[in-house]
Amino acid sequence: MPIRIDAGRVRVGTMRGMGALLAGLLLAGLAGPALAAKANDTLVYASDSEPENLSPYHNSVREGVILARNVWDTLIHRDPKTGEHQPQLATAWTWVDPVTLDLTIREGVTFHNGDPLTPEDVAFTFNYVLTPEAKIVTKGNVDWMKATEVTGPHSVRIHLKAPFPAALEYLSGPTPIFPAAYFKKVGLDGFSKAPVGTGPYRIVAVESGKGVRMVRNDKYWPGSPLGRPKIGKLEFRVIPDGDSRMAELMTGGVDWIWRVPTDQAEQLKNDPTLTVLSAETMRVGFLQFDVQGRAMENSPIKDARVRRAIFHAIDRKAMVDNLVRGGARVMNAACFIDQFGCTDAGVPAYAYDPAKARALLKEAGYPNGFEIDLAAYRERDYAEAVIGYLRAVGIRAKLNYLRYAAFRDALRGGKTSIGFQTWGSFSINDVSAFTGIYFRGGEEDLARDPAVIATLQAGDTGSDPAARKAKYAEALARIAGEAYVVPMFSYPSNYAFSRDLAFTAQADEVPRFYAASWK
Amino acid sequence: MTPRPATLTPAPAEVALPPARSPAAIALRRGLSHGGFLIGAAIVGFIVLAALAAPLIAPHDPYAQDVSRRLIPPVWHAKGGVAHLLGTDKLGRDYLSRLIYGSQISLLIGLSAALISGIIGTTLGVLAGYYGGRVDAVVSYVVTTRLAMPVVLVALAMASLVGGSLKVVVLVLGFLLWDRFAVVTRAATRQVRAQDFVAAARAAGFGPVRILAQEILPNILNALIVVATLEMAHAILLEAALSFLGLGVQPPLPSWGLMIAEGKQYMFFQPWVITIPGVALLVLVLGINLLGDGVRDITAPEGRH
Repeated sequence: MPIRIDAGRVRVGTMRGMGALLAGLLLAGLAGPALAAKANDTLVYASDSEPENLSPYHNSVREGVILARNVWDTLIHRDPKTGEHQPQLATAWTWVDPVTLDLTIREGVTFHNGDPLTPEDVAFTFNYVLTPEAKIVTKGNVDWMKATEVTGPHSVRIHLKAPFPAALEYLSGPTPIFPAAYFKKVGLDGFSKAPVGTGPYRIVAVESGKGVRMVRNDKYWPGSPLGRPKIGKLEFRVIPDGDSRMAELMTGGVDWIWRVPTDQAEQLKNDPTLTVLSAETMRVGFLQFDVQGRAMENSPIKDARVRRAIFHAIDRKAMVDNLVRGGARVMNAACFIDQFGCTDAGVPAYAYDPAKARALLKEAGYPNGFEIDLAAYRERDYAEAVIGYLRAVGIRAKLNYLRYAAFRDALRGGKTSIGFQTWGSFSINDVSAFTGIYFRGGEEDLARDPAVIATLQAGDTGSDPAARKAKYAEALARIAGEAYVVPMFSYPSNYAFSRDLAFTAQADEVPRFYAASWK
Repeated sequence: MTPRPATLTPAPAEVALPPARSPAAIALRRGLSHGGFLIGAAIVGFIVLAALAAPLIAPHDPYAQDVSRRLIPPVWHAKGGVAHLLGTDKLGRDYLSRLIYGSQISLLIGLSAALISGIIGTTLGVLAGYYGGRVDAVVSYVVTTRLAMPVVLVALAMASLVGGSLKVVVLVLGFLLWDRFAVVTRAATRQVRAQDFVAAARAAGFGPVRILAQEILPNILNALIVVATLEMAHAILLEAALSFLGLGVQPPLPSWGLMIAEGKQYMFFQPWVITIPGVALLVLVLGINLLGDGVRDITAPEGRH
């Protein structure tokens, strides 16, 4: 193709940065095939972000969740197909009362370093993450616990702060168990560099900025609901650039990629060496507003009418149909619609109506719009489309594209007015995993609305499912009414991987490599 | 090298002269027979016109998006259409309109960065060349310091510290690209300074300001124009590189570098998204360089290689 060669020459000739990038690509492409693929039983998967710390409690990126699920075990296993809770590291559990949970810990399980799993490990892990010194970033996943005590040679008791019906859901996902003795010896830094768990894969090398290498845990306890992994070696490689990931996949440098833009996924389907899958996930994109107006003086965002105008200005349906595709749905409530307690019944819906948006802006005192900044960290196209829609009603937004950690801190710290957020709820099928993070008064809550916080707390701690649902519906209606956030749509994930690989995608956006195999 | 003021070399009346031509007419004649100059002038002239007349000639609003009409191929493609001659981008914005408006940004950055760096570099260079000695040593030291800094790296660091925007890019590039101006004007000034007419001006009692402005500057202008075109092209490329890396001009401004960055995603399957702004950039930079070379050849043919 002469055109492509021309483009290459333009870029190499004109931009040294691009030249280096191309050279890098070429080198990676040359070095890649020796490492990946079926022949040497190594599954190399690539993704964009690198966990800031490999301890699953100290990062909140999806890549960290994937590592956590493949390297650590949790007390309870949730079957992704049926949603049923099954024994994992805990063989049995009983509610003594709504704030006390007794669990029996499995015998005969060993950590990757040879230490046997004991109830002390469980108690240490949960008590440690609750201490402020642990500085965990996933507080919303554990702050329902008050304390955990060892009650016998094989049992622990978790005391809750208040009744929390979703507890089992949290114990079967974002709460992996750490080896107490090892962690105390090496500390968080040492643990991050050489993590140890009980899971199906064992981490053998952590290379900052490059990735993580794992091998099958040959001593993995028999009878685990996860099963024994079939692939011998697993490697996570960080490749921030989407096109480089795709190039690596096409040249055989990696075996598995995801988050392939729908445009490219459709083209990749024509490649006979690849399998392409797309599936909706629990991830929901939303615009989060600096409701308290910390990012700029006299912030227009403080005015609910301005926030509602933004809601009306964006054609979410058109974005889903043309840009996102792949099974995405428009979300009206600030949660994933299939989560327990998530509903859009009674939640005000904002139709695409630029005229109304302009009228609302005028009413709020901005007939000529205003300038504002919008931060994003994932799909740039979506953020740019939002900027285009805002521009059409007079709001001139400037894109500030950041890495996730910087993006999150900018929002938390009140340094940006609008953030294009996405949240996958840690794959927890309960609305509290969404609302609890963004609206219950925690660090990520930029609205801090006492009414919402109280209603959500009532919902989180209620024991009657119907009463919980009613409370959540009330909170979600108020959140949408005040337009604290603009829920956009659910995210599809497009997976592309080698034809040799048998891989099944789950809606909860956790690739289960331990269940994958070579064809 | 330089035409001497007429007062210093009165031509004896009795010598037979070729038919008299003004220097401007000579330059024009040379220009019209200089292929590179003509091509460069045509390209730059065309792009400057397009940039100036953008609101008149752009068929669409470069910011108007329509996601239902995204990634339409250009007109020569089987699926293209005349509504969008160069197709549309990933958000359904008209590519031709964005390209036309993008030329404004490239030219604006090229001109202002060359102007800022030209003022800084020329001031330093002329002072060093004219005074020599300690002034020269200081300026040379400053130039060496500046040359020791990798431009792209410093520009990236500055842009990521302050945050990318049009203003930041212009200032950063303006304050980084003056070294060649300083080096060239210093050398040229040293040559001119040794000429008789400068000595005559000094003997006539003119102050240094007047000598620098009226005797030296006009005589180093040729060299200055050549450096200015080079630096303009350099600044345009650096802007594109910065924008490509996400640290230059911010969306939705239609900068060519940004368009190349956005097109990268489509390189495999919709190559025209990246090819079109890439070719535009190539043509503009080529045009500016041809023009600069041409100007040098025409005004100072003895310097031709």
